[in-house]
Amino acid sequence: MLKGRAVNVISYIVLFALAAMMIVPLWSVLATSFSTKFGSLQPGVILWPSTFSLEGYDTLLRRLDFLLPFANTMYVTMLGTGLHVLLSAVAGYVLIQEDLPGKKIIAGIILLTLTIPTQVILVPLFVVFKQFGLLNTLFSLIVSELVSAFSILLMKTYFEQVPKSMIESARMDGAGHFKLLMDFYLPLALPGFATVAAFQIVHKYNLFIEPLIFINDPQKITLQIALQSVILGESSTSTNDFIAPNVTMAAIVLALVPLLIFYPLMQKYLISGLTVGGVKE
Amino acid sequence: MLERIRRHWVLYVLIAPILIYFCAFLFYPMAQGIYLSFQKAGLLGPVGFIGLENYAKVFSTPMVWQAIWNTLILAAGITILGVILPIIPAIALVQVVPDWLKRSLQTIIYTPYLFSFVIIIGIWLNTLSPIGLVNTVLLETGLISQPITFFSDPFWARPMVIGLTVWKDMGFHALIYLAALLSLSPDILEAADIDGANDFKKIRDIILPHLMPMIKVVFLITLLGSLRTFDSAFLMLNGRTADQIRTLAIFTYERGILNFDLGVASAAGVVLLAVSLLIAGLARLFLRNEEDEVRNA
Repeated sequence: MLKGRAVNVISYIVLFALAAMMIVPLWSVLATSFSTKFGSLQPGVILWPSTFSLEGYDTLLRRLDFLLPFANTMYVTMLGTGLHVLLSAVAGYVLIQEDLPGKKIIAGIILLTLTIPTQVILVPLFVVFKQFGLLNTLFSLIVSELVSAFSILLMKTYFEQVPKSMIESARMDGAGHFKLLMDFYLPLALPGFATVAAFQIVHKYNLFIEPLIFINDPQKITLQIALQSVILGESSTSTNDFIAPNVTMAAIVLALVPLLIFYPLMQKYLISGLTVGGVKE
Repeated sequence: MLERIRRHWVLYVLIAPILIYFCAFLFYPMAQGIYLSFQKAGLLGPVGFIGLENYAKVFSTPMVWQAIWNTLILAAGITILGVILPIIPAIALVQVVPDWLKRSLQTIIYTPYLFSFVIIIGIWLNTLSPIGLVNTVLLETGLISQPITFFSDPFWARPMVIGLTVWKDMGFHALIYLAALLSLSPDILEAADIDGANDFKKIRDIILPHLMPMIKVVFLITLLGSLRTFDSAFLMLNGRTADQIRTLAIFTYERGILNFDLGVASAAGVVLLAVSLLIAGLARLFLRNEEDEVRNA
């Protein structure tokens, strides 16, 4: 695109510097996590564990019971994403119907929700969840973004690309709404489903404010909250001992593993979705 | 009409739960928040209408003004840097020729966008600690004589929140720009080459104008998001940095959830909504006017 030598050199420098800003800290986290407690407390940069040890992971899993928040987060992520995708698809399907009386009103209500951000209604949301008896349940985290206008609009965009003639002829053959959705829209708009799911998985996995506010019960704590207490050293372990960096870094590594497995598989959808979403705004 | 409604009854049944959901968990809390902001809060719930007293209390609390100021400064920093800086890696990515290298760099730069702020702060807490990588390098090159305590120095509090947010979003925004750049016709650039335009001129006169619609989109998304800053600042909040980075969203949380002062917290929430709607409206108006000017010119 650009021809100059200077531009090329600068481009590579910028990109490699940015990549290094990602890789070097992450590498250091990994190296520290495999250090001994003593090793991780040494001053200087740890780019390789001086003595290889699984002490950090051991403390984390055995003494801090890190698997429970993991399981809770997995439950919320999977069930939450499943329901979110299902409901977004249903709403998207309703919005592409051409001769539906009242469609404008339905679309208007959905668009209006875009103006209400969670962070702004934190306190009333807490009150309402209390009224519905949802406080201190993992279900509250599934309810808190059960369906969103953003996902509905994304599904609608993908559904609109399914050829109308094909749907029309299927309808002539007597296909009902359920059959149309399952046999035509699901396979033909699969990238749409994958995109909504990918974004929702990341969103649910990273939930922070919602569990912070809605959940008090240590049995129902989620990964990000457990991670926060380990990282900021507020862990409520019975033993009042100090959490060394090797334990903290081991917690980060464990929390990153599912994301880093998931990312390459879903990367295509995470990127295609952002351009579709970006154009829509 | 009635016949059409009857024919489509299944669709209404399908959409009804979703609309009910939005009413119960978005519009109702919103209304509840406005209602609570005019109520005197008791231990078990609202105990009566007190007019604008909660708002009076909100605006007479110095901490609120500080929080509004912090929110605006953080939002300005995050928006300006978060919109402009990613243009550089986006243009740079187009220059990378080997496809595998381009894709790897893209993947790596986008990665932080997937991380929660808990993870991001955990990672940088390690690298930026007094004995961590950055301080070690700065000390050894003699640029500083004392390690910088990035996470507990009031001076660094705002730059840290802004910096980490911009870093997290960098790849996301860069890829939005990249997608727009790929739609730029090579013919135009070739024509510019023939006219003898250099790279600087091509960036200024062709690439940036081509990116402008996307820059506006990113600007609006970033501005709205940054006005609601919570996670990043909340996690970096401590005794020494609180006055610099306590945002309005954090204030409502502290008042409402921790101190259970629902009336004042709700009023602060309404103020936050009003501020963000006002700024978003102004931004939209400003962008639209500019578009009209371009069209008229």
